[in-house]
Amino acid sequence: MAGLLVLGANQVALGDMLFILISFIILALLVKHFAWSPVTKMMDARSEKITGDLDYADQERSRAEKLAKEREDALKNSRAEAVEIVSKAKESGETQKKSIVSDAHSEAEELRQRAKSDAEKAREDAMASAQNDIANLSLEIASKVISKELNADDQKSLIDSYIKELTVNESK
Amino acid sequence: MDDKYKFVEFLGLRFNVANDLSVLVSAVLVFILVFALSRKVTMRPGKAQNVLEWMIDFTNGIVKSAMPDGSGKQFNLYAFVLFLFIFVSNQLGLFFQVKVGGFTYVKSPTSNPLITMGLATVSLLLSHYYAVKKFGFGGYLSNYARPVKFLLPINLLEEFTNFLTLSLRLYGNIFAGEVLLALIGTVAKSFGAVTFVAAMPLAMVWQGFSVFIGAIQAYVFTTLSMVYISRKMEQE
Repeated sequence: MAGLLVLGANQVALGDMLFILISFIILALLVKHFAWSPVTKMMDARSEKITGDLDYADQERSRAEKLAKEREDALKNSRAEAVEIVSKAKESGETQKKSIVSDAHSEAEELRQRAKSDAEKAREDAMASAQNDIANLSLEIASKVISKELNADDQKSLIDSYIKELTVNESK
Repeated sequence: MDDKYKFVEFLGLRFNVANDLSVLVSAVLVFILVFALSRKVTMRPGKAQNVLEWMIDFTNGIVKSAMPDGSGKQFNLYAFVLFLFIFVSNQLGLFFQVKVGGFTYVKSPTSNPLITMGLATVSLLLSHYYAVKKFGFGGYLSNYARPVKFLLPINLLEEFTNFLTLSLRLYGNIFAGEVLLALIGTVAKSFGAVTFVAAMPLAMVWQGFSVFIGAIQAYVFTTLSMVYISRKMEQE
């Protein structure tokens, strides 16, 4: 080194310092323009994106949790609802069954009543017409058999007694 | 060593052709490296971009360790270029030396004290510039008399020792590496094939160590530059 300094004493190349200064500045500018700026910009953009994505992920997760809770609640509710619907349907089926059965019962009862009353009426009608027929018939017979002194009153009482006898016989 | 250099006179200044060519080669190499690595800059980095971003993160870390409050962001680019340039310069002479007709044309530019002094000048001028910018010229001058007045001569002296240690440390390490490499080379040539074979592993070991030293010295130079700048920018 001493040799170099002695050598340099008469040949100091101060231009070298200027040269390295200028070339270093030019190199720095070129590096800045071609590599530094785009890469650091991209690094900043990436770190920003990562923070944004993390924030977004947090937000989304809390939203998803909320949504899941809502869904769970809805599911629970729907289960209860289903049970309610089934029991309601059962109940209404039961009542319907009951009403149908009772309707049928009452209808049958009515039919029976009606049939009974019809029969009763028919019998009464038959009875009444028979009574008339018998009255007329016996009147004819009596007028033919005893067509002499028999006034209307005697005749009537005679017929009535005869009919009474007839009904007593019949009701026996 | 006994290298001879060509000199060129231009505008009354003397230029050492070997130094200037080496600086140019280093600068071009750095630019090619960085340019090639930054071609496809995307949000999802490829291999090349990952390497470049790793280097940027590394030098940003150096700046941040000296100025942790985030005020050093403006020096990130400077630290990046400085580190890469010194690193490439240190390695250049290990595998690429051009000698024509006894004159050296390309070697490690950092194995010359003028080049390292030039780099140290850039760093220290930056530190003074930003100190004046921050405190004003009066505040900058009064910082020399802090924390107590009688430290003024020591603080003034420190400016020169900073400059000399910063530049000569780098120069000494790289120059010594090249000297030893040249010595091993002469040993290899001294007694024919026997010494050539014997010197081969020695040269390999020393080259590997020089790569390591070159990387360390680039790191040290960048770190110390940032420390000097940060010390100028705070008031004791």
